[in-house]
Amino acid sequence: MLLTPQGASRSLAAVFTPIRSRGLVDEVCSRIEQAVETGLLTSGQRLPNETELAAALGVSAVTAREALSQLRTSGIIRTARGRSGGSFIADDVLPSRDRALEQLRQLTRLQISDLGLHYQAIAAACAGVAARRSDAADMATLRSFIPTAEADPLHWRLAVSEFLLEVAAIARSARLARELIRLQADLGPLTMLPCADPAYRRTTAGLLDDIAAAVEGRQSSTAEVAVKALVAATTDWLLNEQSKRYH
Amino acid sequence: MSEITASSNTPILCAAAGLDAVITDIESRLTEWATETGTALAALSAKVSGTAVDKLVRPVVEELVRTPDGYIAGAGFLANAGLLGPERSYIAWWQGEDLEHVDALANFSPNSISRYVKSEWFRVPVDTGQPHVTGPYVDFLCTDEYVLTFTHPVFCRSDGPVSGIVGMDVTVQRLERGALPALRRIGERATLVNADGRAIVSAAPDIAAGDLTAAEEGCSVYPVGRKFQIWAGAAAL
Repeated sequence: MLLTPQGASRSLAAVFTPIRSRGLVDEVCSRIEQAVETGLLTSGQRLPNETELAAALGVSAVTAREALSQLRTSGIIRTARGRSGGSFIADDVLPSRDRALEQLRQLTRLQISDLGLHYQAIAAACAGVAARRSDAADMATLRSFIPTAEADPLHWRLAVSEFLLEVAAIARSARLARELIRLQADLGPLTMLPCADPAYRRTTAGLLDDIAAAVEGRQSSTAEVAVKALVAATTDWLLNEQSKRYH
Repeated sequence: MSEITASSNTPILCAAAGLDAVITDIESRLTEWATETGTALAALSAKVSGTAVDKLVRPVVEELVRTPDGYIAGAGFLANAGLLGPERSYIAWWQGEDLEHVDALANFSPNSISRYVKSEWFRVPVDTGQPHVTGPYVDFLCTDEYVLTFTHPVFCRSDGPVSGIVGMDVTVQRLERGALPALRRIGERATLVNADGRAIVSAAPDIAAGDLTAAEEGCSVYPVGRKFQIWAGAAAL
């Protein structure tokens, strides 16, 4: 699983910021899972030892050790003993689709709708400002994130989140960009589920084109409407899927 | 120009020169640092290690970010592919008073270069061999702020490939605090713009950082550093 040529450095940026929250062990684990999901850490590659990991993430060696052991238990890493030993990313890393389905099962309809509304508000605000501030270089970058039809679900999901982050970047609002990253983290792997559906992919591809055209054409309200439609398409798909599967 | 206009313009010229000095200082300190870093890397034994790079870079960053009333939010070095291994970058970058280590986990990735290779602040100095300033832009990687990033290529040999880059982040907020008084002395619509005519700091109440602007007909223009200008009067587009 490799990164698309356009990379995913920005969604990943959040993965590597120092950790200052509670539940440190869980936090370290989820960072590493995210890094695996997005292809930055690849199957079979050696992980740093607990001392290096602790230094890199600004946590204690004890926390790093516990995180490694938790990742071992959940099958994300394997440990080899001996001279060429160490911790390695497992070859058959648990596909995050399972985690996404588990998340979908646990969320209430209220949580999904509310998260969707918040995401819409922030992303639409970005789009409105971006339409006033975009230049040619911005547009070239933005369009580079529109995924190709053959992109697999994981890449499709990354491309869409990167596209929306780029809209925030074009708006040049650090606060809105930070909020968008937080929301994308809250949505977690959930958004990869609709990306496996060809109908959803057709809808989103059209909307991404509409957003880009509106941002380029300095049409703030059109851009806002199109972004809201994009987020609504995702929320609606998830609500429908949840009804079908779990009721 | 008669002597009377020259003297009446002096406060304006001083204000413009003061702002130019702020940016030029940053740019020349970076050039100096790039040279020092290249020499020090060349002096290391054949195999450059991450630990050695950290040891080389961190003391300088510490001095930069802890300078009282300084402009530098964060700074560091990024290796180009090849210095520590193929496809591998290496980031030695710290920010803030408490020297927060940025992106260090990426140093364990076998394809870490892919994280940086598309970023303007990395790509341009590597491709052109010339110093560059990126932004203002929303920096997702380090500061999470609206910043300018000054970067400079590092060469271990004058005829060799680009070994990496050194860079410094300056937040637009810090620059506004420093530059606004000078801009107000220059004119009530005086604006510091980047090479694209995008406002970085403006005395005009209706021009925000990030807005595209145009110089007023016939207004004075003062160069600031390598790439920026002050327009004595600007209009929002």
